[in-house]
Amino acid sequence: MAKVLVIEDDDATAAEMGSCLSTAGHEVRREADGAEGLTAALGGGFDAIALDRMLPGLNGLEVVARMHAAGVYTPVLMVSALSDVDERIAGLRAGGDDYLTKPFDPGELAARLEVMLRRRCWAVQTSPTLKVGDLELDLVRRSARRGERQIELLPMEFKLLEFMMRQAGQTLSRRLIFETVWEYYFDPGTNLIEVYVSRLRKAIDGPGERALIHTVRGQGYKLDAA
Amino acid sequence: MPLRDRITDVWRTTTARLTVFYGLIFAVGILALLGVVYWQSALYLHQRVEGILKARAELFMQASAAELPGRIRQGLVFEGGQQVNVYALFSRDGAPLAGNLRALPKGLTPDGGPLDTPPTADFPFQARLIARRLPWGEILVVGRDISVLSEMRNIMLQALFWSAVIIILTGLVFGAALSLSPLRRVRALQGACREIAAGDFSRRMPVSLRHDELDMFAATVNHMVDEVERLMSEVRGATETIAHDLRTPLTRARARLHRLEQAIGDPDPRAEEARWVIDELDTVLGRFRAILRISELEGRRRREGFVETDPQALVLQAAELYGPVAEAEGVALRVDKGAPSTIDADPRLLFEALSNLVDNAIKFTPSGGRVRIGVEEGPRIVVQDDGPGVPQGEQASVLQRFYRGERDRLTPGSGLGLSIAAAIVRLHGFALSLEDAHPGLRAVIDCAPEAHEI
Repeated sequence: MAKVLVIEDDDATAAEMGSCLSTAGHEVRREADGAEGLTAALGGGFDAIALDRMLPGLNGLEVVARMHAAGVYTPVLMVSALSDVDERIAGLRAGGDDYLTKPFDPGELAARLEVMLRRRCWAVQTSPTLKVGDLELDLVRRSARRGERQIELLPMEFKLLEFMMRQAGQTLSRRLIFETVWEYYFDPGTNLIEVYVSRLRKAIDGPGERALIHTVRGQGYKLDAA
Repeated sequence: MPLRDRITDVWRTTTARLTVFYGLIFAVGILALLGVVYWQSALYLHQRVEGILKARAELFMQASAAELPGRIRQGLVFEGGQQVNVYALFSRDGAPLAGNLRALPKGLTPDGGPLDTPPTADFPFQARLIARRLPWGEILVVGRDISVLSEMRNIMLQALFWSAVIIILTGLVFGAALSLSPLRRVRALQGACREIAAGDFSRRMPVSLRHDELDMFAATVNHMVDEVERLMSEVRGATETIAHDLRTPLTRARARLHRLEQAIGDPDPRAEEARWVIDELDTVLGRFRAILRISELEGRRRREGFVETDPQALVLQAAELYGPVAEAEGVALRVDKGAPSTIDADPRLLFEALSNLVDNAIKFTPSGGRVRIGVEEGPRIVVQDDGPGVPQGEQASVLQRFYRGERDRLTPGSGLGLSIAAAIVRLHGFALSLEDAHPGLRAVIDCAPEAHEI
């Protein structure tokens, strides 16, 4: 449950974003242009902002820049019709925390916002270990353990597991995983993420153990103890 | 190109052929001219000689039998040292009486036609002789040196020979020289054509200010390329618009369907049905994304993301990323270590291209096969598999978008990976080529194509 500010000039898109974020249990406020959006953002009290890259008045990049100038660092998800990788990188460089290309799947929007919100918590987290059920990840010694069983992981597998554990319970799309864990912004082809996740699954979910990594068909993957 | 082919090319040009043809006509003309001159002069000389001979014979015949030998001797005296004329008198039975012939030439009949004789000991020149029977039975022979005629024939033949030599030589030289310049222009046209055929539709055939037939031809081709370019950009624009405009409603439809599927819940077969539709929609959306990605790449002309890049590092990165995929497919992925090198490139984009090639190679290599990636001299980035390869005729077309070759049809994915790689490579000014690896496919990114052009 978080308070989300949606700054989007297109009514249809805004309505769609609003309905999907409400469904996910967030409180949503919408502003239709850059200047008003900025005022609302500076007013504070929001946990996250979904910001259109192209807005009448102030554009998205400027909104972020002014927010930062005023010392407001609310996480920003940049939403844009510009899919070019360069645009994406410009958006992230300007201070966006994540970048989503229109048209997007509402589920993807909710998931990315969730990831963004949780990522903010990583910074303040003090515990050197992550725990999901009986799975433990030691971030300092870079080791993983399930119950009494030590798990050998390659560096990339460790990074993937860390991300999935931090986002435990959240469905993560293949694209989101690839962009966040590998930080590449292209379509990696057929089944790259599938292969990595199934390797990880083989390592984590031993025979007779309860499965922690779940495939959500048509959506992605989820690491969950429940 | 070997020298022999070049020479053949020169002689195949219209100019060279025309020059040789004109040379031949000219030679025939010269031959006719000299022939007529010779024939006319010979005719004239023959007539002159015959006239002279007859007149001399008449003159001698006016003398009496007693005077005649004296006259002949006198006539010969006037010759001085030069022997030009033959005057001789023979008895009825052919014995020499006076003059500069010691025997009556065989075949010479008194009062008959003239006879040409070769040089003899008596008269060391070719001569034309006539004989007259005198009223008292003796035979008078009058002749004249006609070596000037054969001399003239020799001169004519020599003139003919030398003019032929000169005509042929100058014809060949000029033919070659004249055809070199049009040949150079044709080469330039060929080069332009090849680039256009390779997909560079901004290229045009060079047109000079001469307005000759080559220019007319080049202008026609340019007009055609304009039209092709226009049609291509129309098709491209149309597909982009379709991809772009359909993406929004399809994404919304997918979202609705997903919500529906969630609402139906799992045991219901309708949920499975909905998921099937979602999968199909994902395929369509993936393809649209790839199409738009390609046009995005094709629209880029900037080099701002370009930095000094080590291709070897990209290769290692790709091998690391796709290692697990290869392992899962039962394919051995090997990196060939090469010498370090640097190229000017956008590493993110080039990595995307390389990833597409590696993904493609793994996808088409059967289990137990091998994929090798590495950097070769050049530098050239090489991705080689030992899968079924691409048929010879399809190698250029698989790089074009929307082309779905035989091997694409059975495989999932957008099928546009190679096209994306090709667009990225083109944007860098590099060259992507597909070669037959016997067996398998060898995809090569040549990072310095200008340096390797022959």
